[in-house]
Amino acid sequence: MPKSMSVVREAIAGDEADDAMAERVATGQARDQVKAGRKVLPIVEGVVLIAALVAPLVLQDYLTVFATRVIILALFALSFDLVWGYAGIMSFGQALFFGSAGYGVALLARDLDITNIFLVLPAGTLIGLAFALLLGGFLLLGRHPSSVIFVSLGTLTGSYAADRLARGWYYLGGQNGIPSIAPMSLGGYEFTEGPAFYYLVLGILVVVYLLCRFLVRSQFGLALAGLRENEQRIAFFGYKAQHLKAIIFAIGGAIAGLAGSLYAFHEGFVWPNMVGVVVSTQVVLYVLFGGSGTLIGAVIGTVIVEGVSFWLSDNYRDIWPIILGLLLLLVILFRPLGLISFVLGERERVGSFGAARKEKRNAP
Amino acid sequence: MANAFVAAFEILSFGAIIVLIVLGLGIIASMMGIFNFAQGEFVLLGAYITYLAYAKGLPIWAGMVAAPFVVGALGFVLEALIIRRFYAAPIVAMLGTYALGLIIREAVRGLIGGFYLTVPEPIGGSIDFGTIHISAWRFTIIVITLLVMAGCYLLLSRTSFGLRMRATLENPALARASGISTPLMYGATFAFGSALAGLAGALIVPVFSLYADLGLRFLIQGFVAVMVGGVGSFIGPVAGAGVIGTLSAALPWVMAPVVADVLVFVLAIVFIKFRPQGLIAGKGV
Repeated sequence: MPKSMSVVREAIAGDEADDAMAERVATGQARDQVKAGRKVLPIVEGVVLIAALVAPLVLQDYLTVFATRVIILALFALSFDLVWGYAGIMSFGQALFFGSAGYGVALLARDLDITNIFLVLPAGTLIGLAFALLLGGFLLLGRHPSSVIFVSLGTLTGSYAADRLARGWYYLGGQNGIPSIAPMSLGGYEFTEGPAFYYLVLGILVVVYLLCRFLVRSQFGLALAGLRENEQRIAFFGYKAQHLKAIIFAIGGAIAGLAGSLYAFHEGFVWPNMVGVVVSTQVVLYVLFGGSGTLIGAVIGTVIVEGVSFWLSDNYRDIWPIILGLLLLLVILFRPLGLISFVLGERERVGSFGAARKEKRNAP
Repeated sequence: MANAFVAAFEILSFGAIIVLIVLGLGIIASMMGIFNFAQGEFVLLGAYITYLAYAKGLPIWAGMVAAPFVVGALGFVLEALIIRRFYAAPIVAMLGTYALGLIIREAVRGLIGGFYLTVPEPIGGSIDFGTIHISAWRFTIIVITLLVMAGCYLLLSRTSFGLRMRATLENPALARASGISTPLMYGATFAFGSALAGLAGALIVPVFSLYADLGLRFLIQGFVAVMVGGVGSFIGPVAGAGVIGTLSAALPWVMAPVVADVLVFVLAIVFIKFRPQGLIAGKGV
């Protein structure tokens, strides 16, 4: 008896949270109705893609190297957006998959001399996937559904523990990490920093983006969005909510692993921060800034945060983190849907799904 | 024998430090349902205020006395301005307090630079038991921790303030109907939790010295301790802090420190997974 009581209480608590959220988005809704006819999302995506395509042509060499790093981080941000923005799982330890894949491919290159792109990238992806399956399976599955607090603190702790392990383990290079990783190769060609590497990661980002877009617009994506909005209801519909969560968590881990292996080869070294809390929270910043639950928001958030930080780092290096914190606080308080919500309406953010695409959505 | 005694003292003193840090975190988490990511930075602020007093030539204990009041007042203001908006959504509260913590941490980093600043112990020297010497200040921390724990317990269980606080936690609607100002109680609870963090920071700064990431070091240990102990009561987090602090200090004596470090977290997470309600379930004191 007490168990069912607590279930009901949780359902009610969930509704209260929903109401608070609904109140927040209500302000944007009046504007949405005006915009309802137009599609903004494809335009935004197109503009970002064109900007990304021409960037190396207009940027100086050292900026292209920087832009490559940003694209890789955007791929990483995409993985977090899938997990948090769509399934509502707060992963404060996304860097665990990013960094462990980075360490994994660094070890492959150092100890086994394997740098072939067709071996290392799948290897990194698999490492991310494996770690995410392990951690996600443990945290999310089980007889009793885990609380959101437990999952978020569990992932945070996992990332922190991995950081400590990497720092103390001599085989992984300790504090210094693994330096001078050999470049990624394809036949005789070596991918070093520059336009070729840039277009390689951009191509990967576009492919992964399209896959994610397909995924979140499918029936699976609809179930995920339901999880985010009200997990209890999705469970009552007969979905195995925990399994859905574990699957999307593992997919997110795989994408983070892919990003991590690219990052390791691009930077040429890996170090303990890469698995730690610093990078884990950084990716949260990107996505919240840009707007969670819209894939393009994660990309835009990464570009803006990294771009402004790069731009300010010469003159305002010391106060930039303070400004970043203030901006983040303002976004959380007043723009919970991120910067993208300035141009993107709520209706389009939620989007339409799978087979139901042709039908009109409920009138607002 | 002497070694065992020193080891026991080290373990006890580290356990006391963790308990001191977790007290405030636990009270805020249990009474308000918010996992305050800025708690580590409140600890940092307490340490910084103590350092400031020392640098200005004031006696160190003056800084230590001032720290909890200043940090508590700041906590009260922050609760009224920002934290209050987060009660409905625990995840948003985490992110918001994380942003707050980031601001405080980076501001302090800007003020002190990337240095490790030392503050001398207000009670120096050592206490001797025959051939065994133990640090007088660490001993003082243990004593103060015990006093603060007892004080908090009495405050929550024996005073009308504690009763109102618990009533607000248990049933906010009924508490309001009974004439208790719940927003004021939330504000006071948050201020109280912050003040405890400020006190913890002030007391530990002579042991760990002052650096910008001081609070971050303890934050995750603190969260794990709160969850192991069980959210909802006063005793739960304290018990959890005792267990986590003792384990983190004791395990490195029997195995490689790296393994011990990670093992504590793994054990804690596995424990919470299979006993989500923690060591001590239930609400109240």
